Amino acid sequence: MKKQNVIPVEYTLLRRKRVKGDKIAKDVVYYVCGIILSLLFLFPLVYMLATSTKSESAYVADAGSLAMFLPDFANLGTMFNNYGKVFTDYGIWRYALNSFLYAAIVIVLNVLINGLAGYVMAKLRFPGKKLLSFMIIFLIVVPVETSIIPLYSIVKTMLGLKGVMSVAGVVLPAAISIFNIFLFIQFFEGIPKEYEEAARIDGASTMGIFFKIILPLSKPIIATVAVFCFIGVWNDYLWPTMILPYPGEGEWPLYPIQSALNTIQSIRGITTGEVMASLVVTSIPIFVIYVAAQKYIVQGFGSAGLKM
Amino acid sequence: MVTTTLIILAVFAAAFVAFAVWDVVRAKKKREKYRVGSTVTAYLMLLPAILLAFLFILLPILYSLGYAFTDFFILTPNDINFVGFDNFATAFKEIGDKGMLYHAIINTLIFVVGVVPLQIGLALGLAVFVNRKKRGVKIFKVCFFAPVVISLSVTSFLWLEILSPASTGLLNSFLGMFGIPPHDWLRDPNTAMLCIIILSAWQGCGYQMLIFLSGLTNIRNELYEAASLDGAGAWSKFVHVTLPGLRSTLVFVIITVFIGACRVMVQPMIMVGYQEHVVTLSYYMYQQGYEFRWVGYSSAIALLMTLVIGTITLIQRRILREK
Repeated sequence: MKKQNVIPVEYTLLRRKRVKGDKIAKDVVYYVCGIILSLLFLFPLVYMLATSTKSESAYVADAGSLAMFLPDFANLGTMFNNYGKVFTDYGIWRYALNSFLYAAIVIVLNVLINGLAGYVMAKLRFPGKKLLSFMIIFLIVVPVETSIIPLYSIVKTMLGLKGVMSVAGVVLPAAISIFNIFLFIQFFEGIPKEYEEAARIDGASTMGIFFKIILPLSKPIIATVAVFCFIGVWNDYLWPTMILPYPGEGEWPLYPIQSALNTIQSIRGITTGEVMASLVVTSIPIFVIYVAAQKYIVQGFGSAGLKM
Repeated sequence: MVTTTLIILAVFAAAFVAFAVWDVVRAKKKREKYRVGSTVTAYLMLLPAILLAFLFILLPILYSLGYAFTDFFILTPNDINFVGFDNFATAFKEIGDKGMLYHAIINTLIFVVGVVPLQIGLALGLAVFVNRKKRGVKIFKVCFFAPVVISLSVTSFLWLEILSPASTGLLNSFLGMFGIPPHDWLRDPNTAMLCIIILSAWQGCGYQMLIFLSGLTNIRNELYEAASLDGAGAWSKFVHVTLPGLRSTLVFVIITVFIGACRVMVQPMIMVGYQEHVVTLSYYMYQQGYEFRWVGYSSAIALLMTLVIGTITLIQRRILREK
């Protein structure tokens, strides 16, 4: 049967009116659904924030009412007491400092080591290059995570990283990333040859070109790599807990902040509010990074699809 | 152990030099030349990356293959014996006797079967939900993405409080309003895995939502308009336009979520511990290799896991791509 394309005029007018009413109703339904869904996703976080401001007695008193999701309005003056305790008594700032330090080292090493490798693979001509590019593809495809126990045995028994040296066991494996080499190669291949040729005529060495010409041109990719390094190091829990010594009394702990959550959690007499405060403190830097470096994170997500 | 490493290094170096020489020979035939100076600089610049990649990526993979056939106990690193398939026999015996490994497999299966559809379904639904030009959509997007920002360990500690067995825990006090008595959600074998599935999907789905969103923007609007003209409803548009348009994104998401789900371990580890009702494959492997120090046996489990996950991934790719 042939489709009818001509619609009577009266019918369309009538329809248009109804469509408008429909649209408002639809919008209302849409926003109500959106708000309900948002609440479903946010309530644990709101609960975390609200509880972090409460003393144990306020936490118990609020249980079973909507006040669970609100700060303790009766005692606004003592709102940050839990945070104070987490910082001074439990010394969470030391763990946070460790995390920042490890992240900084990893970022510098990661950009330098993988950047250099990416530059060589993208721009220089040398024998053995084909084999190396084959290995890069191979290592990206092979799942590596299941080798965490052999990695542990290598770091512990072969390199013998003990005490303060075990920090190297946290930082060095994170400094190499085949995927980042791949990202660098892709970016460097897009930089026109003319930049290098001009510098070479001026007598610059290959190293000089890398540091003075290529790196300054590569700020976007460096930012992306740095942001993901930071998130990776800051959020890593298992590996540092395995490799670093358990914090002892009276000495500077080596644990980063995620591993420290475990130690803080098991302190005797810790209140729910204090636990929540430590979780909030642990999450804040990541929230800040996500907000500040949105652009680079979206770029990184885009390239994540290349992994397959 | 150091000698083995040096032997592996030597073998690799030899193979590498052979390849490089072959490259040089072939270049000569084509009357091209490699300059010695630039080759040396290239390798000097590559050296740190090659060294670290060898030590921390390649060597662990090779060792996990090798250890699987030995009785390596980490406290006696100089007394490693080749035991053939003994580790695998032990593993299969453990499965047959319904030991810890049996529970680990069952729990991992439950987790994968639960979390993969839930997380991907949620992510896809949310992506379609926020993929329109309306005011405030961006706020919804931020809300759905917020849990992704939180690390897995923070998520676990947070839900540990939410699911607390005390009557003051969030879930118990909420249910208490309806007169339901407090329940120990994580110690109860019937609810523990379900809780872990839900909180994992809650934490992760925002990430896949973003990936789906970028896939959705690639579907041309004309397709939807054409479907509307043909009188297609919202559901049939979703089935006939959105899903086919998202095919490659969907393949990517299914495979990555599947692999991630197979590796679950931090949540049960922090929230419950090494218990029959929540132990997972990765957790079992970790416990055997790290806490009990049986690296050989642990590597055998890792090898089995890699084989199974790899095979399933390949099959998934085949099925999903062929259509």
